[in-house]
Amino acid sequence: MQIFPPNNGSGRGYQTLEAPAESFEQQPPNNWKGVFNISSYTQYFNVDTDVVINRLISSFHPTAGDFFNKIEANPDLYGLIWITTTLVFMLSCFENFATYLMQKHTDGTTTWSFDVGYVNVAASGIYGYAIAVPMAFYFLLRYLGSNASLIRFWCMWGYSLSIFMPAAVSLPFKIAYSLMPPRFCNCRSHLENLKVVFGNLDFRIRIWISKFLLLIPVEFLRWIIILITGTASSCFVALNLRSYIEGGNDLTIIVIAAFLLQMALSIFIKVWFFP
Amino acid sequence: MSNSHSDTIPLRPSNSQSDIDEIRSLIDDSVHSGPAVVLPARHPATTPPPSSSPFISSNIPPPPPVSSSSSLQKLQAVPAAPPPPPPVGNSSSIVANGFGPPPNTLTEPVLDTVKRDLWRIVSNLKLVVFPNPFREDPGKALRDWDLWGPFFFIVFLGVALSWSASVKKSQVFAVAFALLAAGAVILTLNVLLLGGHIIFFQSLSLLGYCLFPLDVGALICMLKDNVVAKVIIVCLALAWSSWAAYPFMSSAVNPNRKALALYPVLLMYLSVGFLIIAID
Repeated sequence: MQIFPPNNGSGRGYQTLEAPAESFEQQPPNNWKGVFNISSYTQYFNVDTDVVINRLISSFHPTAGDFFNKIEANPDLYGLIWITTTLVFMLSCFENFATYLMQKHTDGTTTWSFDVGYVNVAASGIYGYAIAVPMAFYFLLRYLGSNASLIRFWCMWGYSLSIFMPAAVSLPFKIAYSLMPPRFCNCRSHLENLKVVFGNLDFRIRIWISKFLLLIPVEFLRWIIILITGTASSCFVALNLRSYIEGGNDLTIIVIAAFLLQMALSIFIKVWFFP
Repeated sequence: MSNSHSDTIPLRPSNSQSDIDEIRSLIDDSVHSGPAVVLPARHPATTPPPSSSPFISSNIPPPPPVSSSSSLQKLQAVPAAPPPPPPVGNSSSIVANGFGPPPNTLTEPVLDTVKRDLWRIVSNLKLVVFPNPFREDPGKALRDWDLWGPFFFIVFLGVALSWSASVKKSQVFAVAFALLAAGAVILTLNVLLLGGHIIFFQSLSLLGYCLFPLDVGALICMLKDNVVAKVIIVCLALAWSSWAAYPFMSSAVNPNRKALALYPVLLMYLSVGFLIIAID
């Protein structure tokens, strides 16, 4: 229910821009029962399964800038918490898997041992990014006078990290691909594989594609993957931020900063976890 | 002064009938105040108490003010009653005789205490991990929760993982223990935040008991070394753990949010399973 604020008569642009957000944000603090009471936080987890899945799927469409409209009424922190946790787990898991495969194929004997330190780095990196960056943008935008809602920022940034999950899955397998014994890497098996993907194309085109793929070094493919996912995620963040701010041109720099930060995160993931 | 008053018995014409009446009233008084003084500890167990916790006493009915003859009948009925776990009887005797002699659990032999706790762990394990659709009291494991079982299982899993690790053993134990303990707390908080109805320690206890299949899997993986066999065993153990945890978690939340509550459980068990496979 909308509580319309009383007209305070000053009529400055700053105030009227603030007022609707304030009136909407007056809803949640009414349920605040203290920091240590669970029921004051349940308002941020008031989502059903289909709502979460809907938001997840919409986070895979980076070009539609309407995420904030979707979460306007009901931002949730469930996505932030569990997507970051899943990403931490996947990064440390597949990182160990990648080093295991590398060890197995270079040495022949498995002198590989499970490195638990990866979990620490993954956890601090992902959690730190997901918590600190939206907070920084929130304070910055508040300082510059625009309306901003911390919960919605956390929600949006959390869902933006979901694009990295398929990338985390696919990156170590490229190592496996490059380390397969040469007799498995002939054109014929590639054609068999490519039939699944390019089944309807002409035979000559299929051969051309397979030769093209064989010529490309595998490292390049991995960089392509991480750049594509990084760009998608950054576009998601930037476009949604821009549509949310709806402000003047001086705030474009903030949008660009968000884009660059997300790209930096994706490059960090590639360089640190899958070198 | 008042003590001396109650100690003195007022002078009365002593005949046998009044003596008998006096004795009967004394017996009735002691039955009212502390039946465990007069009867063996299993007596209150004939009325099935809903909780074995000694601190929840409201559901235990007051001992009926019967004469000594019917109390004798109850004595005979005790061996025929289906044996609920002994701790139930002992702990409710703590409640029943508030001002009586010291409770039996303090003076009993240590072996009895250990046996009683072990029996409770085994019974909770049977109820949680091997759910029987025909069991007579489905909620019993929830009410008789305890944290000893989960503690043993978590420590055992940590020790098994760190023993089979070749380097950084202490770090492996720390990660496993922290993951499981913090994970159980966070999962419970997750259910509570989603608007579910679950009691905090009950849920901790249940999630700890559901680790038992993974413990078995870790033990087997310690002994065998084949990677493929390990993957198969861990997958089976994972499926079993998730199947054991599913009814408790899903019944605690709104049906629309079942998947939201269950996914983190799956994630935690999956990460533990991965740890088991990866440590060699």
